Amino acid sequence: MTEVVLAVDGVTKSFRVHRERTTSLKQFIIGGGRTKYDEFLALHDVSFDVREGEVFGVIGHNGSGKSTLLKCMAGILRPEAGEVRVNRRMAALLELGAGFEPELSGRDNIHLNGAILGMTRREIAERYDEIVEFSGLEQFIDTPVKTYSSGMYVRLGFAIAINVDPSLLLIDEILSVGDVTFQAKCMEKFVEFRNAGKTIVIVTHDMTSVRNLCDRALILEHGKASEVGEPGLLVEQYTESMLGSMLDEATPGAVVRRGDGRIQIESVEMLVDGEPAVTVPDGASMTLRLRYRANRPVERPVFSIRIADQHGLTVTEPNSRVGGLVPATVEGDGVVEVDVPDVTLLPGPYTLDTEISGFHRGQIHDHVQHALRFDVVAGRSHESSGLVTLRPEWRIDP
Amino acid sequence: MSVGNALAHRNLLYLLSLKELRTRYRKSILGWAWSLLNPLSQMVIFSIIFIYVFQAEPPVGDPSGLDKFPLYFLIGLIPFQFFSISVTVAMGAVRGGAALIKKVAFPHEHLVFSIVIAQFVTMLIEFGVLTVALLIAGNMVLPWLPVLLGVLMLLTLFTTGVALALSAANVYFHDVNYLWGITAQILFYATPIIYDPGTQLAGQPWLQQITNYNPTGSFVRAIHEVMYDLRMPGLGRWSYLAIISVGTFAFGAWAFDKLSPRFAEEL
Repeated sequence: MTEVVLAVDGVTKSFRVHRERTTSLKQFIIGGGRTKYDEFLALHDVSFDVREGEVFGVIGHNGSGKSTLLKCMAGILRPEAGEVRVNRRMAALLELGAGFEPELSGRDNIHLNGAILGMTRREIAERYDEIVEFSGLEQFIDTPVKTYSSGMYVRLGFAIAINVDPSLLLIDEILSVGDVTFQAKCMEKFVEFRNAGKTIVIVTHDMTSVRNLCDRALILEHGKASEVGEPGLLVEQYTESMLGSMLDEATPGAVVRRGDGRIQIESVEMLVDGEPAVTVPDGASMTLRLRYRANRPVERPVFSIRIADQHGLTVTEPNSRVGGLVPATVEGDGVVEVDVPDVTLLPGPYTLDTEISGFHRGQIHDHVQHALRFDVVAGRSHESSGLVTLRPEWRIDP
Repeated sequence: MSVGNALAHRNLLYLLSLKELRTRYRKSILGWAWSLLNPLSQMVIFSIIFIYVFQAEPPVGDPSGLDKFPLYFLIGLIPFQFFSISVTVAMGAVRGGAALIKKVAFPHEHLVFSIVIAQFVTMLIEFGVLTVALLIAGNMVLPWLPVLLGVLMLLTLFTTGVALALSAANVYFHDVNYLWGITAQILFYATPIIYDPGTQLAGQPWLQQITNYNPTGSFVRAIHEVMYDLRMPGLGRWSYLAIISVGTFAFGAWAFDKLSPRFAEEL
């Protein structure tokens, strides 16, 4: 049994939302010592354990209470009920370079910030060189930090924080700051940390990083925590419920399924390496399998699929007629498979609509919206913006 | 505010105090001289008013026989400024520390302690210079310095208590700052710095009692006795100072402890 290094036990935290904010003693006295406020419950009875050596993810959108939870774990906020027990030396990376003194040099700020993060004088002295080296600011270490660029600021902040040498690290979306090189450096340090058997808690809204990095995770929604579970599964559930609610909001009472029903779509699934999957790396091959049932013979059906991105934009919409495959007639149960030899979609969430129609437009037998949701994860391509990659090959003549 | 926690962060306290001392005077050409220039300029102004405008008799030290108003003035002003500046700066430091308080968990009281420590160091330097001036004027203050240190320790305890209570209250109510400005001014005139209650208030026993028993007045009287008169404050004075120092510190620490857990959300 691995040891629990961070225990969050029934933590409840509410904030006072002041109707008329009493910020002066005068108002306070005139108001008879009472201030009017509403209680806003940011966290409601949240409990979970983080075990030694694991990477634990807390998933939540803005307003879910994840920042509050992070601050409670870090000891910045004190919960009303419940408690947070920390059994290891902890460092919280909430904001890099918080508490830098602009007038002081980088050198002095390393000492001051190290002390704020709980390091002793000896520890700072021992790690000073490493901090400077990691930050890459050797030349500027004796100039006041007010002259630093924001990038230099963040680099120095990260270098100090990471050298506190915690056994437990709390991270708040940290890997998304700075430029690409710096992010790569952070990622490297992160992996180094994980390999050293240290415990990491990531609080984020980024599903992909949770799925790729975390061993276990939980979802925080409206201040309530879900069961702790396997990240891939949780992310799946979460996106499902998010998409579901988005759909409900966007088109209230919308018919998700329509058509005359002469032939029906029974199921749609995605196969990667012959196994059902919900994610596929770009550059891999996948197969989309559609099962149908026709109670009576149907002539010349056309099967089509539509892949759309998270905003509903159509990426591609192939059909079997264009594919040159139109059976004269179908009856009973059957399977349609679409092989995609090279997934050229860039990483992100996608939805799949399916439709079976007659040979001529306008005759829809069955149409299922959002029959499938899947994620493309990083694979062959290193491109990051846009929807698809053209697998470009560059040539530059000097 | 647990002692263990404070000890674990003693390095932070040391560095915060050092930062306070450094940043305060770093930008100026004269550097440390500024900290002496302020009391000296006030001394010149008040001495001119006292001697030429009001044509008052300078207080005479008993038993020292010293009769120099500028020295009398500085002996009172230095500890009073230590008190008032410490409280003012500490209130600003806790409010100004919002960015830090919201992002990092650390003992908030260190923000206050570091200010008092930095001001204490400044005060010691000022008293050092003043000691030289007193020796030149013929007041043999050297044997009395340990006694002075004793009074200053109590004053520091008292100052820390007031600074803790007001800086915490200032987070919740921003007009505490203004009220403090007025209070500090009243205390300045209620404290025998620019006058000698023995001569100037001779016919006003009621006013004499106020100057004698208001907290800062009482401290300054004690320091006058030690540094100007060259005599030991009485047992009554010592007990009075000890009680208000310990009492104020205990109250300040209690209030700060009560209020500081919510700093991160109130700021």
